Amino acid sequence: MYDLIIFLILMSLGYGFGRVAEKRHYKSILERETALNRIPAIVLRLPPPSLKPQNTELVMGSVVISIDYFKRIAAGLRSLVGGRMMSYESLLDRARREAVLRMKEQADALGANMVFNIKMETASISKGRKNKIGSVEVLAYGTAIIPVAVPIQQL
Amino acid sequence: MSLKYKQIQPPEGINTSKEHPLKEFSLLLLGVLLFIVVAIVSLSYAAHLLAPFVPFSAEQKMADLFAGQMHDRPRDQLAEQIAQEDAAVTRYLQSLADRLAMAQGLPDDMSITVHYIDDETVNAFATLGGHVFFFRGLLENIANENALAMVMAHEIAHIKYRHPIKSLGRAVITGTAIAVVSSAAGSNIIGDVLGETGLLTALKFSREQEQQSDESALNVLAKIYGHVDGANTLFEVLEQAHQDTQQPPEFFSSHPHTDNRIDNIIAMAGKHNWPITGAITPLPPQFSRWLADTDSTFIQRP
Repeated sequence: MYDLIIFLILMSLGYGFGRVAEKRHYKSILERETALNRIPAIVLRLPPPSLKPQNTELVMGSVVISIDYFKRIAAGLRSLVGGRMMSYESLLDRARREAVLRMKEQADALGANMVFNIKMETASISKGRKNKIGSVEVLAYGTAIIPVAVPIQQL
Repeated sequence: MSLKYKQIQPPEGINTSKEHPLKEFSLLLLGVLLFIVVAIVSLSYAAHLLAPFVPFSAEQKMADLFAGQMHDRPRDQLAEQIAQEDAAVTRYLQSLADRLAMAQGLPDDMSITVHYIDDETVNAFATLGGHVFFFRGLLENIANENALAMVMAHEIAHIKYRHPIKSLGRAVITGTAIAVVSSAAGSNIIGDVLGETGLLTALKFSREQEQQSDESALNVLAKIYGHVDGANTLFEVLEQAHQDTQQPPEFFSSHPHTDNRIDNIIAMAGKHNWPITGAITPLPPQFSRWLADTDSTFIQRP
């Protein structure tokens, strides 16, 4: 019975904190995305030839995000019957958007006006300890296009 | 014409679901738990139906196997505490058991073997092969033969209704089922929750068996003594013994609550018109001496 009580406490803690954190995170994501929309993130490999010569820089944003107790249990149950892992979906959505945001923030600090050739990578860092750690890393990287302050002399 | 590079905010809720996480969770949990309960109940019924077909002789062989293992272990504490068959207390308990078994209509192919354990525990139990164990702690607290007969008849009823073999069958089949499902769940926590549910479902069957045995024992008491006095004193002894330990709610317990058992006794006595009070049969005068004086009869292990 005590196991059950501990379980319920962990569940409500996980749910409460997880839910609050998710709400706050989404709010912050939306605000920052709206602000950083002025730096478009483009998946094209190369900038168009019409673009004047610019400086370029590798920019990246990385996020490590962990699952809460509630989501873990919900996912465990879901894995019995199959279907959409909704509890993981929002988690990964947040991680991807946060990674792109961090990348853009880096680009912004460099004075870039767009980022080309965006790529994303996901790495699970729970290797071998499936039941202990439920964390995932999302890495977004791309080429920041930085306008040169002094126009390059045309030949 | 050149491309225009502009980023607009994408709409929300495409990559995620708007459904409330608690809704999904509670549906899943209810569904899975319901499945577990239904599965455990039907498997348990199947085990209960099939277990009585195991011949009693096979059960006895199984019990001998366990007993052999116990004695093979060097300096097994329980084995050292069991009094020999010819100890005075064991002989007295055995004769009482034979009398009650006769009154209870124990089938001919079944037999009761009583053992006395020199230990503080306030308890008695019946197990495979018709072996019934009594602890010193219980016998010390029992005031009269009627109360002792109530315990004895209760344990004999477990044997008569094949409860030990049914429980064993049930434990094997539901244990296997739970192990399969919880390993499929892939997470230790989920496995624990499912296992817990299975266990709680199994406890329901255990409580039913206890009640069945209580009723059968009461029946025998009324048959032999003409009244059911002493049955409730037994439960008072049990209640006293468990007073210092916190009792969990009945739902989490293998036995019905003592209060409920006393109520049940009174209700049954009322239904069958058995007198609740009557002449008490005392224990043999040497009884307490027998309990203390088993040192010489211990199984001596080299």
